[in-house]
Amino acid sequence: MHKLNDDEELYLEQIALKIRKNVVRMIKAGKAGHLGGALSAADIIAALYFKIMKVNPQNPGWRKRDRFVLSAGHKCLALYAVLAEMGFFNESILDTYGSLGSKLPGHPDMYKLPGIETNTGALGHGLSIAGGMAIGLKMDGLDSKVYVLMGDGELAEGSNWEAAAASSHYKLDNLLVFVDRNTLQISGRTTEVMNYEPLYKRWEAFGWCVREINGHDLKQIVENGTDIPFENRKPSVIIANTVKSKGLSFAEDRVNYHYWKATPEEFQLADQDLNELGRRIGI
Amino acid sequence: MSESKDPRKTFGEALVEVGEKYSNVIALSADSSSGSGLAPFKEKFPSRHLEFGIMEQGVIGFASGLATTGKIPFVVAIAPFVTARPFEMFRNDLGYMRQNVKVVGRCAGLTYSTLGATHQSLDDIAIIRTIPGVVIINPGDPVEIKKAVHSAAEHKGPIYMRIGSPAMPILYNEDYRFEFGKGVVMKEGNDVTIIGTGTVLSKAFDAAEILEKDGIHASLINMHTIKPIDHDLLIKAAKETRKIVTVEEHYLHGGLGSAVAEVLALEYPAPLKMIGVDDQFGGNGPYEKLLGLYGLQAGQIAETVKEFIR
Repeated sequence: MHKLNDDEELYLEQIALKIRKNVVRMIKAGKAGHLGGALSAADIIAALYFKIMKVNPQNPGWRKRDRFVLSAGHKCLALYAVLAEMGFFNESILDTYGSLGSKLPGHPDMYKLPGIETNTGALGHGLSIAGGMAIGLKMDGLDSKVYVLMGDGELAEGSNWEAAAASSHYKLDNLLVFVDRNTLQISGRTTEVMNYEPLYKRWEAFGWCVREINGHDLKQIVENGTDIPFENRKPSVIIANTVKSKGLSFAEDRVNYHYWKATPEEFQLADQDLNELGRRIGI
Repeated sequence: MSESKDPRKTFGEALVEVGEKYSNVIALSADSSSGSGLAPFKEKFPSRHLEFGIMEQGVIGFASGLATTGKIPFVVAIAPFVTARPFEMFRNDLGYMRQNVKVVGRCAGLTYSTLGATHQSLDDIAIIRTIPGVVIINPGDPVEIKKAVHSAAEHKGPIYMRIGSPAMPILYNEDYRFEFGKGVVMKEGNDVTIIGTGTVLSKAFDAAEILEKDGIHASLINMHTIKPIDHDLLIKAAKETRKIVTVEEHYLHGGLGSAVAEVLALEYPAPLKMIGVDDQFGGNGPYEKLLGLYGLQAGQIAETVKEFIR
């Protein structure tokens, strides 16, 4: 387990802000994009890549690397931003979002950019793929871990629960899921659209070791994210309570920013909010 | 034809052979291990045999993830439950991700003749044929099954292989050479070309013999690879005999007949007769009788060919 000191926390806050700024930058370039989930997951993704996972931008296929599976593939703008920030590819690629043949499709394609492990987008696929990775890594005697980011709306897909059962059956204690519980999905409040509660008990009943955190608190994210397995011979899941569109005051916790077709005025507001945050944390 | 062999048992034996050859070959079962012929593999390589229970969507995703770590997963279960059921997983997690996974649908076609349409698979080739980059193999005899399993392990990329369940007549010798994407001319003739595939190749074979006795010289092609289909051989056949007849234990729509029609219509139009199951759910009853219901017995095929070329 790693406890962040204040300097490390500030650094990760700065990374997360850069991710948020680049998410907005890509949506500017492409005129529209999945905003809300990319911003609710930005802190988790920043912490994963800059503190929790072993990855090497100079050697993306490194056999001993940790794997990241973005099951909720529509949050990929945050993934593109963090990979660019780490140096997997040149940041200028971000400005191609939305253009013909861009390396940044609206859901990630592992053959278009280094650092992307899976093609996701259709929901309810990521956990099975991650489980297969986790079994394969164990078979090879590697201590690499597999990290998965799922949406809470996505949990209505039954295939997730197939994967949850199998991951527990195979005692995949090298597997950690973050549920980005921003409580909104495209058509409304997640528990009203299709109730998944009691979420904690549900994962527990499937044989997982569960923790619940504030998904914007970088200290909590790192402390728990570096503490797996939470229990030996069990997969781990973190229910991360987040705010959809976190960081943009006009969009936070509002359902119509799941997919954002921004007006010039909104872009201005977004820049104001993110620049103000930047002034507070020194970038 | 004298000897016959159980295709699932044959598959299982072949998988043990490739398991011995390649330590990264693993087997994934969806509560179908013994029924899929996996028992010998499980016994020989217990740690490389993974059971997933009746988890027919999830097992495809797990196979995809395993392939990312360099494993060569063979996923084996009843044909509709590894094709129609998890279609999106097949498309995205195997096809789109270009994963080195081999999916084997067993008891395909009308095999589950008495169990009815839920367990029969008359659309698997049609469904999987829409996925870019997936090779579809439909072996026509036990020797070909064995060779195809070896080739599948050596080929890098997703494969769908289809096998039946009733004992298959042995049509080839052990020295038979199998090559993906290359149809095999089993008999030469000038009057008509019969193209058979998979479980009913032997029926097409018998039909060609019946026709020969009746003075009709049919050419016979075994089209074991449905995708990519052997364009050159199809064009050659159309040029040489003009008339083509396809024989398959599958829907007429989307299977071998469709694949052949697509090539001929665009590249060398020729009269085509397709024998298979028309637009309906499969019936129920004894297997051989069910084949007869859809005109797939050798004598019926011969009659259809005669009528077609008349």
